[in-house]
Amino acid sequence: MGESSDDIDQMFSNLLGEMDLLTQSLGVDTLPPPESKPPRAEFNYSVGFKDLNESLNALEDQDLDALMADLVADISEAEQRTIQAQKESSQNQHHPASVEVPDFSGAAALSYGANVTAISVSQYEDDLPPPPADPMLNLPLPPPPPEPLSQEEEAAQAKADKIKLALEKLKEAKVKKLVVKVHMNDNSTKSLMVDERQSARDVLDNLFEKTHCDCNVDWCLYEIYPELQIERIFEDHENVIEVLSDWTRDTENKVLFLEKEEKYAVFKNPQNFYLNNKGRKEGKETNEKMNAKNKESLLEESFCGTSIIVPELEGALSLKEDGKKTWKRRYFLLRASGIYYVPKGKTKTSRDLACFIQFENVNIYYGIQCKMKYKAPTDYCFVLKHPQIQKESQYIKYLCCDDARTLNQWVMGIRIAKYGKTLYDNYQRAMARAGLASRWTNQSTVSTAPPATSAAPSTGLKTSTPQANGQIPQAAHSISTVLEEAHRHAETTKDKKPALGNQGPGAPEAHQLPKSSLPPPPPVRRSSDVCSSPATAPRARGLGGGFPAPAPPEDSLPPPPPPPPLDEDELPPPPPDFHDAPPDFVPPPPPSFAGDVGSALPPPPPPPPAPEAAGPPRVALKRPPAPPKRKESPGPAVGGGSGEQDFMSDLMKALQKKRGNMS
Amino acid sequence: MAGMKTATGDYIDSSWELRVFVGEDDPEAESVTLRVTGESHIGGVLLKIVEEIKRKQDWSDHAIWWEQKRQWLLQTHWTLDKYGILADARLFFGPQHRPIILRLPNRRALRLRASFSQPLFQAVAAICRLLSIRHPEELSLLRAPEKKEKKKKEKEPEEELYDLTKVVLAGGVAPALFRGMPAHFSDSAQTEACYHMLSRPQPPPDPLLLQRLPRPSSLLDKTQLHSRWLDSSRCLMQQGIKAGDMLWLRFKYYSFFDLDPKTDPVRLTQLYEQARWDLLLEETDCTEEEMMVFAALQYHINKLSQSGEVGKTAGTDLGLDDLDAALNNLEVKLEGSASTDVLNNLTTIPELKDHLRIFRPRKLTLKGYRQHWVVFKETTLSYYKSQDEAPGDPIQQLNLKGCEVVPDVNVSGQKFCIKLLVPSPEGMSEIYLRCQDEKQYARWMAGCRLASKGRTMADSSYDSEVQAILAFLSLQRTGGGGSGNHPQGPDASAEGLNPYGLVAPRFQRKFKAKQLTPRILEAHQNVAQLSLSEAQLRFIQAWQSLPDFGISYVVVRFKGSKKDEILGIANNRLIRIDLAVGDVVKTWRFSNMRQWNVNWDIRQVAIEFDEHINVAFSCVSASCRIVHEYIGGYIFLSTRERARGEELDEDLFLQLTGGHEAF
Repeated sequence: MGESSDDIDQMFSNLLGEMDLLTQSLGVDTLPPPESKPPRAEFNYSVGFKDLNESLNALEDQDLDALMADLVADISEAEQRTIQAQKESSQNQHHPASVEVPDFSGAAALSYGANVTAISVSQYEDDLPPPPADPMLNLPLPPPPPEPLSQEEEAAQAKADKIKLALEKLKEAKVKKLVVKVHMNDNSTKSLMVDERQSARDVLDNLFEKTHCDCNVDWCLYEIYPELQIERIFEDHENVIEVLSDWTRDTENKVLFLEKEEKYAVFKNPQNFYLNNKGRKEGKETNEKMNAKNKESLLEESFCGTSIIVPELEGALSLKEDGKKTWKRRYFLLRASGIYYVPKGKTKTSRDLACFIQFENVNIYYGIQCKMKYKAPTDYCFVLKHPQIQKESQYIKYLCCDDARTLNQWVMGIRIAKYGKTLYDNYQRAMARAGLASRWTNQSTVSTAPPATSAAPSTGLKTSTPQANGQIPQAAHSISTVLEEAHRHAETTKDKKPALGNQGPGAPEAHQLPKSSLPPPPPVRRSSDVCSSPATAPRARGLGGGFPAPAPPEDSLPPPPPPPPLDEDELPPPPPDFHDAPPDFVPPPPPSFAGDVGSALPPPPPPPPAPEAAGPPRVALKRPPAPPKRKESPGPAVGGGSGEQDFMSDLMKALQKKRGNMS
Repeated sequence: MAGMKTATGDYIDSSWELRVFVGEDDPEAESVTLRVTGESHIGGVLLKIVEEIKRKQDWSDHAIWWEQKRQWLLQTHWTLDKYGILADARLFFGPQHRPIILRLPNRRALRLRASFSQPLFQAVAAICRLLSIRHPEELSLLRAPEKKEKKKKEKEPEEELYDLTKVVLAGGVAPALFRGMPAHFSDSAQTEACYHMLSRPQPPPDPLLLQRLPRPSSLLDKTQLHSRWLDSSRCLMQQGIKAGDMLWLRFKYYSFFDLDPKTDPVRLTQLYEQARWDLLLEETDCTEEEMMVFAALQYHINKLSQSGEVGKTAGTDLGLDDLDAALNNLEVKLEGSASTDVLNNLTTIPELKDHLRIFRPRKLTLKGYRQHWVVFKETTLSYYKSQDEAPGDPIQQLNLKGCEVVPDVNVSGQKFCIKLLVPSPEGMSEIYLRCQDEKQYARWMAGCRLASKGRTMADSSYDSEVQAILAFLSLQRTGGGGSGNHPQGPDASAEGLNPYGLVAPRFQRKFKAKQLTPRILEAHQNVAQLSLSEAQLRFIQAWQSLPDFGISYVVVRFKGSKKDEILGIANNRLIRIDLAVGDVVKTWRFSNMRQWNVNWDIRQVAIEFDEHINVAFSCVSASCRIVHEYIGGYIFLSTRERARGEELDEDLFLQLTGGHEAF
């Protein structure tokens, strides 16, 4: 393998060296000159998109500059790879300037030939871009078959490797690129080069570099269909080109770059989507209170299991009838497998449900001003359609919710059902990115990091010119490389990072504190009453106060009975063991805990003597403002002394007591 | 030693006679009489018994069972006094491990030796170790339902009973070795067969049997099962189980930790089987669409397991697919004649050309199918008036990428249609292709399916897709073509499979087999590429994402309420459900729970949640011990996340679920 890899390396550097030749202006060891467009950069790429020409024509001069910057960055990236390849291969005899085509032998020559002939070479000049030679060309033309190969003792293996590499190069050269005009929220636009492998995340990262935004997780690419009056958020994992290639040639559709808090709302406040019990109308207020730990555990429960949990969502929605402007009200339910409705005269049990739509072939959009356009009952509409449909059609489904909250729940629910865990992964990536950005900005000074990193990641480090719309400072490139480096560092080590935004430490922490909210309750054995107290320790509010409070009833209880006669020797381990045990599963109380305990110590009143007597406020039926007076079990939770601050010590006391009882 | 007598025959020391029966608790059993004192240690007594019996045998597994106290005397260093044993104690000297018959999740019966002296939790752990199922804490044992089991016995006396009792003896207490097939299974052909039974999915059940098996018709029925769970903190002996009894082994807690197809073949399979039966017997309801997916997965799994492709992964990396194929192609060519047009061959894509009848439904048209010359190349379908016009412009050209492909097949009617819903910017266009026979249909259908996913017929999966379609058609021919209710043996081969064995009986009533088959076929196309374990995992995931998944129902009466209601216990919450209507009244999450108490005297469970919400109910359909264990068990399982070890915190589990043994 060693031999063949040398061959590959050599060929690799040869190929790339050729690229250098084409760029003409650059030495191997230096960065591409950031200033001024390369005079006559011949660039090796094929443009697979029909209207590149048009779009190029439409570009402003400065857009062109930015584009050129992109192109140069591409080349420089390739160069850096060359450098790397050079380093890796032990043969340093390679000097790009002196590489000659005749050096290629055998299959390498073949592949190179393919490259040259099959690929449209476009020349970029200062004034106007000439049309690409053959923009529609998607497939490589067959090269002239090589004449009898000048064959040495090359093993078949080496040959195969070469071919593979050649094909890979071929593939790479085939990569479709598209100039995308992105509308910023200040009504300006930016044009950037997007290649067909790039996800929305990559494009966002690219845009982060070009703009001075804070990189928070709400930034998104946003697709707008003015004609249909629908719009939606690009999911970060979506392939941008694929989506755009569904647009028609004369489309009015636009891509926006803006902040949408709906994008990851479920991860910021999962309780708004997952704990939306019926009958909890004043939900918002109580929901706001959920603390970070519980959110984390809720997210983990919903997204990290064997299968994700789709929020339970059901209710009456208005459905626009096909081809009409009338709306029919139906009861819809969301399930992981699709949206269902309850047929007339049927119940909402699973077996009676009729399938309304499944998500495989549709995207979800917000409908804009449907009230005006389609006489919708409200403006809170969402739309389901096949991504390829671009005109009004009976295959587009319009649904109308009663209020914004319901709308957001449905849209998010459908996204969860459709994308599953990917959504969560996207979010974590976005968080990591946001966290890094914030750390960067915190460091106030722009470090002069050596720009010549070998990083050259595929996630678009394309900016290297200062003139990109005049927004990129000189140090942009180094910033981004440092960021990138840090990013990757963070991804590998998962070390803690400072937080950004309202969520606090994001992804990494989620791994560190996965299951915090359910520490085990040690059951306490009593004479007629076994108390198991699920020590939901991290509940910040009221818990510290609430828990130890039931001391009074303790007094009224008979003393614990003598231990059961049996199993004395099988006792659980002595207390010292126990002291070691809890940290395994019980997380430390949240920092806010102590404060809460101090301030809010609302001991629940002692249980009334006859709890059975009056049962007016049934907890289960409505949600009365917490019926604290009724303590229904005769036994108190844990017989700790009153006034304990720490819930853990409570627990421990309880356990020790229990052990004491038994031995 | 004792034995000196006074003149009247009394012993002068404080010794007395102790009678011990030898064997299991059979009063007719032989007995030995020993002379003991209160200070005699149990170990000494055991020794004496063995001496008395005067039989050479391995007595190491034997221990003394005290019948009146329903207790094992396992502490050998304890004295009789310490145990409180007097001369009237009925003691049995018998083996601690006794054979039981387990009904596994896959409904097969297996005889093995289980511990009758350890708490059930440990006994189950030992059983699971033997069966090589990880995470035994998720499983438990139920009593077999009495009457129904008998009925079944009468009808099928010839049930195959796998036997692992010998393995227990051979393997002893030592944990089995896990290397590939666990070592203890490779002992003999029988045990090997047993392992196959455990680790491979069973064929679909006979539809008639399926109809005969009891299914819950209401929520109330669903509560029945849960009254039969055994108590995990007490041993089998204490719970009145006798040697040779039938017990069910089931996954009790629906929280499956770290499910890994590689290390968990048995666990995955048994879980799949439990899920499958759960759906077939309508314990968990699902919609029609979901049932079709489940049926398709079952069909696929069955096919794979019968063809022996157990370890093989069917799905290969999509991206590499064509590259690899191309490489192979290229290599071959290069070896041969170098002068052929290599790359041309690479890019030729197989195409289909044929006369097909096409129907395009339009408004106000009465035209039916018309013969056309159809060319299918890459992902594009073009049709012409006749073959002669083929080089010219087609009547229509459709790119099938992203389209919906629906089979419309009736084998007995010799109707082989493909319905295509092709998206275009204007909406979806509908088109029907009618093929002449199965073979033609299979080829075109496979092409359409691949094209809808953006792949061409050059894709390596094309041939297998064709085969899958043919196989499925034959299924329809043999299985349900005619009367539709052919009883099939349990080991029907894939060829003669009856689709009724794949769906819940209510779909047997709703659909004819020939209606069912195409729908299953349609769902199958999305899963056809999965490997066996992937398909099983997918099945489990789809099962988990059903809204009703994993809820254990118990009839309870809430305090203050006059009517019975249902309490649903899921892995993260408690649900109060209206008994009559089945509506969810209220949900409480475990993460909000602070403590729960059980009053064993009045069989009442009292739970306190945050915000001073108190809930109390008495258990009607099952003992409150079962509810208590469920809650404690789920709390326990939720603590597993942190300590990712294999070893179990048994004490914690018993603390959380026990507590009542004192009574």
